[in-house]
Amino acid sequence: MLARLAENLFWAGRYLERAEDTTRMVDVTYHTLLESPASEATGSWEQLLEVLHLREAYGDGPIDPARVVRLLVLDRDQAGSITASIEAARENIRSVRELVSSELWESVNDLHLALGRRDLRRDLADQPYELFGHIRRSCMTIYGTASETMPRDDGWRFMALGRVLERAEMTCRLLDVRFSQLERLAGPSDRLGALRTDEDGSVEVARGPDRADFHAWIAVLKSASAFEAYRRRYRSSMDPADVVEFLLLAPDLPRSVVFCLGTAQQLLEDLSDGRPSRAVRRVGRCRASLQYRDVGELFEVGLHEFLAQVQERINDIASDAADEFFRQHPSGALHAIATS
Amino acid sequence: MGDLFSGYEDGGFFDEAFEPSGAVRPHYEAVVARLRGFSPDDLDRRERIRDQLFRSQGITFTVYGDVAAGSGRPEDAGVERTFPMDLLPRVIPASEWEVIERGVAQRVTALNRFLEDLYVGEQAAIHDRVVPRWLVQTAEGFRREAFGIPVPHAARCLVSGVDLVRDGDGTYVVLEDNLRNPSGISYVLENRAAMTRVLPHAFASQRVRPVDHYGPMLLRALREVAPPAAGEQPRAVVLTPGAHNSAYFEHAFLARQMGIELVEGRDLVVDEHVVYLRSTKGLQRVDVIYRRIDDEFLDPVVFRPDSALGVPGLLSAARAGNVTLANAVGNGVADDKAVYAFVPDLIRFYLGEEPILPNVETYLLWDAEQRAEVLDRLGELVVKPVAASGGYGMLIGPTASDEEVARFRERITADPRGYIAQEVIALSRHPTLIGDRIEGRHVDLRPFAIAGESVEVVPGGLTRVALQRGSLIVNSSQGGGSKDTWVLDDEGAGIDAPAATDDPAEVA
Repeated sequence: MLARLAENLFWAGRYLERAEDTTRMVDVTYHTLLESPASEATGSWEQLLEVLHLREAYGDGPIDPARVVRLLVLDRDQAGSITASIEAARENIRSVRELVSSELWESVNDLHLALGRRDLRRDLADQPYELFGHIRRSCMTIYGTASETMPRDDGWRFMALGRVLERAEMTCRLLDVRFSQLERLAGPSDRLGALRTDEDGSVEVARGPDRADFHAWIAVLKSASAFEAYRRRYRSSMDPADVVEFLLLAPDLPRSVVFCLGTAQQLLEDLSDGRPSRAVRRVGRCRASLQYRDVGELFEVGLHEFLAQVQERINDIASDAADEFFRQHPSGALHAIATS
Repeated sequence: MGDLFSGYEDGGFFDEAFEPSGAVRPHYEAVVARLRGFSPDDLDRRERIRDQLFRSQGITFTVYGDVAAGSGRPEDAGVERTFPMDLLPRVIPASEWEVIERGVAQRVTALNRFLEDLYVGEQAAIHDRVVPRWLVQTAEGFRREAFGIPVPHAARCLVSGVDLVRDGDGTYVVLEDNLRNPSGISYVLENRAAMTRVLPHAFASQRVRPVDHYGPMLLRALREVAPPAAGEQPRAVVLTPGAHNSAYFEHAFLARQMGIELVEGRDLVVDEHVVYLRSTKGLQRVDVIYRRIDDEFLDPVVFRPDSALGVPGLLSAARAGNVTLANAVGNGVADDKAVYAFVPDLIRFYLGEEPILPNVETYLLWDAEQRAEVLDRLGELVVKPVAASGGYGMLIGPTASDEEVARFRERITADPRGYIAQEVIALSRHPTLIGDRIEGRHVDLRPFAIAGESVEVVPGGLTRVALQRGSLIVNSSQGGGSKDTWVLDDEGAGIDAPAATDDPAEVA
C-alpha cells in the first residue's frame, strides 16, 4: 500500500487512542477529586498535565482545575487536547477514506459533528460525566466499527499498531507519574516491604479501603479501564505493587503494557512479512524484558527508570517502523544530494 | 386537478420532451406517462430518497475550505454539497445517439492526430496552412515542453468531454472539446445508480444502455497506452492534487472503479528517469499516470517551480518513454477557442471526412473584416475569452448592459487574439422539477470519449441543467444541476417491450 496512507492510518490509530485515554484520565481525575480536599486537587491536575506532557503548554500560572480541564478538553489548537486529537484522527481517516469502510468514516465524522453541535463549555460545567461518557463511548464505537468492518490487511495492521503503541506509552506514563507521587504520599507497598528483609519484618500495612491512598489507586485503575478486572483478580486487596504488576505485566489485560507490546510484535511481524526488520527485533526485545519479570525486580532497579526506558523503547519502535514502512527514498546519488 | 405537467410551455425553444404542438415526443412517452401518475407526495418521497443516497455516499463538489469556514459555524465544517440531480431523466433515442457517437469519435480521432503531429510529428497541418503556426504557438495551452514526448496509439486525449448543445431546430453542435482534464463522469455513474433506486419503474418499460463499464473501459485504455517496456501487467495510478481539490471525489471514485492506487505528487518519485511509487514495501515502478493535475503543476522542474502538487522529473521520465501521462501534456492548445474554430478543417485534413457534428459559427477577431462585422453587431453576439472555460468572463450580447458591451469592444480592439465571437444559440430546454411543478430549463450534454487503441464513447454522458429560470449557464459552480441521461437501445418508446425482469427492485 501507499506509504503516505499507511502512515495516516498509523496516526489515526494513535490519535484515536490518545483521545480516548485522555478522556478517561480527565474523567477519572475530575470525579475522584469531587470528594477530595482542594489541595489534593491541584496536585492531581498538575500530575495529569505531566502525564500528558502538557505541563509546559499550561504555562506558569497557578494550577486552576477549571482552566486545566478547558485546556485538555476544548483547546483545538493544543496538540494533545481531546478535541485536537479527535480532529487529527478525523483528518487522518478522511485522507484514507478510500481504504477504510464508509462506516468507519461516518462514525468518526459523527463524533466530530456531534461535538460541533454541543456547547462544550456549558457541558463541561453542567454535565461533564455525560460529555466524557459520550466521547469515550464514541471512541470505542469508532474502533469497534473499524475492527468489525475492515479486512485484516496491512491498512488495518498499521492502524492497530498506532493504537497499541500509543496505549502502551500512555499506560507507562500513567503509572510513572502516579506511582512516584503516591509513593511519596503513602509509603512503599507492603508486598515489597515483605520482599525487603527488614529486621522486624512484620509491618502491618492496611490492604483494604483504609489505606490512605486507596482511592488514588482505584483512580489509576479506572484511568486504564482496569478497575473491575483488577477487583476480580485481586479481590479487595489494594496494593501498589499489584496495581503495577497488573497494568504492566498482565498477559491477558488488553491495556497492559506487555499485552500491547505482544500485539505490536505480531502486527510488525505480519507487516514485515519475513523481511529483516529492526522494528520487529526491537519490539521483541522490549516485550521480553517485561514478559518474564517479577514486579519485585522492577522496584529494585527503580520503577521510574524502568518505565522511562520502556517509553524510550516504544518511541524507538515507532520511529523504526516509520523508517521501514513510511519513508521510501530512491538510492540514487542524485537523490542523496537532493534530500540531504 | 391537473398533473405535474399542466401549464407546461416550451417558451418558443426547442424542447427535448415535447413537440411544438404540445405532443410528447415518442422517446419520452414512457417517462412522461410514469410521472403524470405521481402525486406531490410521491415526488417528495423520491426526492428525499435521492438526497439521502447522495449525502450518504458523499457525492459532492465543494467539500471543505472557504465556504464552510466562512459561515463561522463549526457544524458547517465538513458539510458537503451535492450536485443536485433532477428527477426527470434526459432521454436520447438510438438514432440520435448514433450520430452523436460517430461525431464525437470523429472529432477526438482528428484532434489526437493533430496533437500527435504537432508535438512529435511533421506538423503537416501547419505546413499545409490548415491552421496558422502563430495561432498555435500563441495558444495558452501550447507547451513547447511536450515536444518529443511519445504517446502510444497517439491517444493524447485519452479522456475527452465534448460539450454539445442543441440549437433552435434541435441540431447538436459542439461548444468545446475539453481535452485536458474533463470532469463529471462520476456524476454520470452515480446519477444512474441513484435513478435505478429512486425510479426503478421508469426503466422497466424500455431498454436503457448501461454506463457502469466506464471504470474497466478507462483502465483498459490506460494499459493500452503503457510504454512498450512496461510488460504484460503495467501499473497505472490516478494522480490527484489532493483531498482539497473540488473534483477529489471524482478522482477517488475513478481509482476505486478501476481498483488502482490514488496517489498525490509526494507519493511518487523519479529516479534515473523512472517513476516509482512509495509503498510500504519499498519503491514500485509506475508505467501509466492518469493525472488530474493541470500541466502547469505537473513537474516543478519544467513548469511552475512553486508547485508542491507535482513530481520533480516527471516530464523527463515521460520523454524517456518510461511512463505515459494521460491526458498528454499540451492538449490545451486545441482547447483554445480560436483553435477550436479550425477543428472542422482539421477533420477534413487528417481524416478526409466531412465533420458529422458542426461547430458553433465562430468569428476570429484578428481578421479585420470579421472583427469589423462583429464590432458592428456586438449586442447580438456572445464573446468569449479564448483561454477561459466554465462560463467565466463571457459577454452575452442580448442581455448585457451598454457599459459591458463597450468594455468588450475595448478589450477586443486591444487584444483581438484573446477573444472569439459566436452567434447566440437558443439552447434547447428540458422539463425540470422546480419546487412542486415542472418547468422548462436549458440543458447541454457532455458525452465522454475514451481513446486507447481505438476511440469509444460512453452512451449518454452528463446532462447539465441551468436551474435558474432563463439562465444559459449550466456549470455546477453557478447554480447548475444534472440529469441522468438515457440512451435508448431501441428506436421509439417501446411501451410494449417486455419489462426488464431483473429490475433493480424497489430498494426504496
